Amino acid sequence: MTPSQRVIAPMRGEARVVSLLDEGGPNRRLVLAVPGWPGFHPGQFVMLSPGARRSVPQRDPLLPRPMAVFRTHPAGEGTRVEILFKVHGRGTALLADTVPGDRIGVVGPLGTPFPVPPPGARALLVAGGTGIASVYQLASELVSRGTRVDVLLGARSAVDLMGEADFAALDLELTVATEDGTRGRRGVVTDLLDEALAQGGAPVVYACGPTPMMRAAAELAVRHGRPCWVSLENPMACGFGVCLGCAAPLRAGGFALVCRDGPVLPAEAVAWDGLP
Amino acid sequence: MSVDTRVNLGGIALRNPVLTASGTFGYGTEFAPFLDLTRIGGFVAKSLTLEPRQGNPPARIAEAPAGMLNAISLENVGVDAFVREKLPALPEGVTVIASVFETEISRYAEVAKRLTGAPHVAGLEVNASCPHVKSGGIEFGQRPALLRDLVAAVRRASELPLLVKLSPNVTDIAEMARVCEGEGADGISLINSVQALEVDPETRRPVLSNVLGGLSGPAIRPIALRMVWQASRAVSIPICGMGGIASAEDAVKFLLCGATAVQVGTLNYLEPGIAGEVADGLVAYAERHGLGRLADLIGALETGRGAPASPVRRG
Repeated sequence: MTPSQRVIAPMRGEARVVSLLDEGGPNRRLVLAVPGWPGFHPGQFVMLSPGARRSVPQRDPLLPRPMAVFRTHPAGEGTRVEILFKVHGRGTALLADTVPGDRIGVVGPLGTPFPVPPPGARALLVAGGTGIASVYQLASELVSRGTRVDVLLGARSAVDLMGEADFAALDLELTVATEDGTRGRRGVVTDLLDEALAQGGAPVVYACGPTPMMRAAAELAVRHGRPCWVSLENPMACGFGVCLGCAAPLRAGGFALVCRDGPVLPAEAVAWDGLP
Repeated sequence: MSVDTRVNLGGIALRNPVLTASGTFGYGTEFAPFLDLTRIGGFVAKSLTLEPRQGNPPARIAEAPAGMLNAISLENVGVDAFVREKLPALPEGVTVIASVFETEISRYAEVAKRLTGAPHVAGLEVNASCPHVKSGGIEFGQRPALLRDLVAAVRRASELPLLVKLSPNVTDIAEMARVCEGEGADGISLINSVQALEVDPETRRPVLSNVLGGLSGPAIRPIALRMVWQASRAVSIPICGMGGIASAEDAVKFLLCGATAVQVGTLNYLEPGIAGEVADGLVAYAERHGLGRLADLIGALETGRGAPASPVRRG
């Protein structure tokens, strides 16, 4: 957390589904109306319980799902909170089955946000998979501050890529890679990162995505002598530091709680071999 | 109509019978954004050991049908930091039951001693049942002779009201309950999580790094009710019941089966603050049923075909 970022106390409440868009492949865009939303910082997340607020609460699956806040819009009867997610398990399937008007339990915002780069520094954002949803607000806020932002997005295939149009609408340099070459460059997003770092410009690197991707990004940043922040995605039951389920091992020994100490951590602090 | 919500849990006077379970409520302060802690009877803090203790490597949790598995391994700040830093951070009027865990009986007793006289601490709960640490814990809750020595030693170490948290992973819960009562325990908490295993068929490995974990949540509620009912018939000291409580009606079930108080556990993770709603819901239930005292529900389960039995009064 950067000193200028005020601490936002999380809320627990009930969100209403405003819309759920199928964005192709596994990708969904959920817009929630959240009365009493206290605001958030880039990199923070919410815990969503799609079954808990039904007329008969559904207790299976039991646990809420951590979701990055993609962005928010002010609205009269409850701030609109936008979530991008992929359908890949029981919890996300339940979220994908909601319809406008459905009620969803929400707790948040939670977690330690991305720190902003020092004045004048450039930012290089690299994201893959659902990690793309975690860095949009960072990109948007940095662009507003006048920071030069380069964004590298990766996916297996064009159909898996989420949020490209949202990033393209911002005043930043966007490059896309897909493993099968169906969109942008063929290859993995860390290939793009290697090239971008080789061009210099002394950027601060921000990475979010699958663990192997973040680890590769962290190693590239070290090789190029650049600071790197990663946003981890460990499973968690609570999101506010009591279940202790999301512990990530640290190189210095001990653990960080991804929900409270993270999700954003300095890349060099993470003991990557110890992550499941 | 006003409802008398007070109960007495083995010498711990509670404003209402709703507590929160150890390991699901941190040190209380984590819930400040979500719940006024004076709305509930109190909370049982995370189990404390003599020294700070680090948990297991990931993965530490896994989802299960209507529940979850955990194998955290009792990570905690240690008893001294709890007394020095955590307790003073709590608002006035909050009742704390401190949970004690160790690997040897003499160390259990030492932790109990250090908690005695600390602010907010109204009682102790001896964790004799953690299902996923390699030594201590569950062994004490599974062997009557060990349990007897443990309860006796902690009893000698502290004059605070003493609850013993029992494991469900036993053949005869009544026998374990009687051992606790015989050694001077003031009450019994049950159930701890149910020892369990979950497997990933793709990797052909256990989901948890510890292999075994403890199953909690609504999935275990009927097991918990059964064991509370059996224990309450075996002893006359009060029972604190828990296992997947998600509503006031769930809490009523435990009271009916003989619990004097209840603990909300796993649901705190997904609905932080739900314990306050359970407490309020108990009052609404009592009003709906014309009850003047919540304590009148304790042990009022009607199992016969004939006329309703008169409720056992333990509150």
